[in-house]
Amino acid sequence: MIEVRNLHKVYGRGPAATPALKGIALSVEQGEFVAIMGRSGSGKSTLLHILGLLDSPTQGEFRIQGTDMLRLSDTDEARYRLEEFGYVFQEFSLLPGMSVLENVYVPALGLGRNNGFKKRATELLRTVGLVDRMKHDPTELSGGEQQRAAVARALINRPKILFADEPTASLDLASARVVLDLFRRLNNELKLTIIMVTHEPDDAQYVDRVIWLKDGLIADDGPTASK
Amino acid sequence: MGTLKLAVFLAYKSIFKGNRWSLLLILMVMSLSFANLLLTPSILSGVTDAIDRQRIDTTYGNIVIDPQHNEYSIARTRDIEEAVRRVPGVTGVSSRLTSSALFEYEWKLKDRPEDKGKSGTWRVVGIDPIHESEVTTIHRHIFDGTDLEPSDRDKILLGIEIAGGERSETAPFQTLQGARVGDTVRLTFPNGVQREYEIKGLFRARDIAVADHTAFVTRSEMASVLGRDVYSDRAHQMVVRLGDSGLEARAVEEIRALGFPVEVRTWHDYSGALSGVVSSFDIVASLISGIGLVVAGIVMFIVIYINVLHSRRHIGILRAIGIGRGAIIGSYLAQALFYSTLGIVVGGLLFGFGIQEYFARYPLDLAIGQVSLVLQPGTVVNAITGLVAAGIFAGLVPVLHITRQGIIHAIWGK
Ligand SMILES: Nc1ncnc2c1ncn2[C@@H]1O[C@H](COP(=O)(O)OP(=O)(O)OP(=O)(O)O)[C@@H](O)[C@H]1O
Ligand SMILES: [Mg+2]
Repeated sequence: MIEVRNLHKVYGRGPAATPALKGIALSVEQGEFVAIMGRSGSGKSTLLHILGLLDSPTQGEFRIQGTDMLRLSDTDEARYRLEEFGYVFQEFSLLPGMSVLENVYVPALGLGRNNGFKKRATELLRTVGLVDRMKHDPTELSGGEQQRAAVARALINRPKILFADEPTASLDLASARVVLDLFRRLNNELKLTIIMVTHEPDDAQYVDRVIWLKDGLIADDGPTASK
Repeated sequence: MGTLKLAVFLAYKSIFKGNRWSLLLILMVMSLSFANLLLTPSILSGVTDAIDRQRIDTTYGNIVIDPQHNEYSIARTRDIEEAVRRVPGVTGVSSRLTSSALFEYEWKLKDRPEDKGKSGTWRVVGIDPIHESEVTTIHRHIFDGTDLEPSDRDKILLGIEIAGGERSETAPFQTLQGARVGDTVRLTFPNGVQREYEIKGLFRARDIAVADHTAFVTRSEMASVLGRDVYSDRAHQMVVRLGDSGLEARAVEEIRALGFPVEVRTWHDYSGALSGVVSSFDIVASLISGIGLVVAGIVMFIVIYINVLHSRRHIGILRAIGIGRGAIIGSYLAQALFYSTLGIVVGGLLFGFGIQEYFARYPLDLAIGQVSLVLQPGTVVNAITGLVAAGIFAGLVPVLHITRQGIIHAIWGK
C-alpha cells in the first residue's frame, strides 16, 4: 500500500543544513499496525510528517497504491489528508472555542456531505468513552481524554491510514494504555492501517511490526514477538 | 457549498468562542475608526455648509435678480416684485440700490484735512427694511441700536467691520475705529453727494467677507442720493428668498419665464470667487478624510493582523486535518466582514446618536458662524467602502501568508 524509496530530508540550507532522513526505504501493507521507534532526533517525526503529507522530502519516492504522493496538487494533498488519513499528534491538537463534539466533526464538515456526521461523531465519542463530555470545551478535558477525542476526530471521515506521533507521550500509564488498546481494536476490527511513532519500548507489545530508526536510516525492521 | 458552510462555522466559532477581549478591542477600533471617518468630513462639510448658509442668509438670499448685462439697473421693480412674489415657494423679495461711498468718522477732530483720519470706502445698500427682513437675516444680527424703518432718511446701519471697535475682527486702521450708535458719520458718494447720517444700529452677521463690511440706508434715501427721478422705481439688484432651498432651480426657471428683461441666477451661480474658496476647501476636506481612512485602515490592519497571527497554530491544525485553503481563507474573510459590519453599525450608531446629537446641541462657534455636522451620502459610502476594504485586507494578508507556509511550521513554529 505505502511504498517509500530512497527518502531524504535535509532541514535548512548551507552550513546550517541538518540531514534528518538519509535514504529511507520501506513498504507498509494495508491493515498493518507499525511502530516507528528510535532515539530522540533519529528522524521519526520527520518520516511520519512526510508519510502524512504534512511535509515534503528533499528527495526520494513515495507512493500510495501506485499514486505518486510527491506530485499531488495542493487540493489533492488536502483531499488525502481529509479523506484518507487521520492524525493524532503528540501535543494536544483540539481546537479551542469548539466543543469536543464539534472538534470531532469539523473534518466531516470539510467533506461537505450531510451524511449524519453528528450521529457518527457521537458514536465515535462513545467508542473512545467520551460521550458524556462531548459538550465540553477541550480545555476542560484531561490529557488522556483530549488524545482520545483527537482519535475520534481522526476517524470521523473513515480514513484508510491513521498517523500518530507519540500519542501517549504526555499521558500517564493508565491513559496511555486506554489509547493503545483503542488503536489495537481499531486495527483488529476495522483493518485500519496505523503508523505510530513512539519511543516507549513497552508500546511494542501492541503493534505488529517495529521500524527502528537511527540517525535518519532504518536500523532494523521486523515483526514483533506478539505477532 | 460545503466550503462556505465550513467557513461560516469556523468564523462563528472563532468570533464568539475566541478571546472576548480581542473581540471587544477589534470592535472598538473598527467602530471608532468608522465614526472618525464620518466625523472629519462632516465637520468640513459643516463648515462649507455654514459658509453657504451665511451667504444665503446675509447677502444673496436664494435667488439673485440682476440687470441685463448691458444695463446698470433694473426698471419697474414694483411690477417685478409683485410677479415674483406670486411664484410658488417665494417667501420674500427685496430690491436694493447699491453704491460705494467714502465713510468718515470724527472728521472734525483731524489736524489737517489731508489726514486719512477715521475713514474708509465701503458699500452702502439702500433697502426697504421690511422687504429686506423677509430675505436676509441682517436685522437679527443687530447687537446695538435698532433696525431701520421705512421712513428713516438720515439713519444708517453699519456692519461691525466698518464701525470697528472691540468686537471687530479687522485691523483697527481699516475701520472707523469704534463708531457707536448715536454717532454721526459722513458719506461722500461717487457722484459728489455728501451726507451725514446718524448711526442707528450696529450688526454683526459673522460674515466677514461681505455682509459685515456693508452699510444699510433706506432705499428712498439711496434713491435721493442717486437721483430720485431715475431711481424711484429702479434697483441694482433684487434678492429672493425661498421657503425651501431645494427649489432653487425650479424657481429660477419660473422667474425667468415671467419674461422681464433681467438676469436670474441662484446664489450659487452668483458667487464665483467664494465658490472657488469653498471648492478648494472641499479638496482639503477630501484630502484629510483620505488620510483618516488610511490611518484607520492601518490601525484596523494591525489589530486584525495580530489576531490572525495568533491563530497560526489553529490554521496549521485545520490544514493538517485536511481542511482546504478555501474554507480557511473564507472563514477569515467572513470574520473580517463581520467585524467591519459590526464596526459600521456600532460606529454609525455612535456617530448618529452620540456625536451628531452633541454637535446639534452644541454647535462649534467659529468665526464664520455656528457650525454643526453635515453628513453627506458620499462620505458614508467612502467610509463603508474604506472600512470593509481595510478589514478584508487586514484579514486576508496574514491568512494567505500562513496558508502558504508549511503545515508543520504553522503548528509548531519550526
Ligand atoms: N524544522 C527543523 N529544522 C531544522 N532541523 C530540524 C527540524 N525538525 C527536525 N529537525 C532535526 O531533524 C532531526 C530529526 O528530527 P525529528 O523531529 O524527526 O526527530 P524525532 O526522532 O522525532 O525526535 P524526538 O523523539 O525527539 O521527537 C533532528 O536532528 C532535528 O533536530
Ligand atoms: Mg518526534
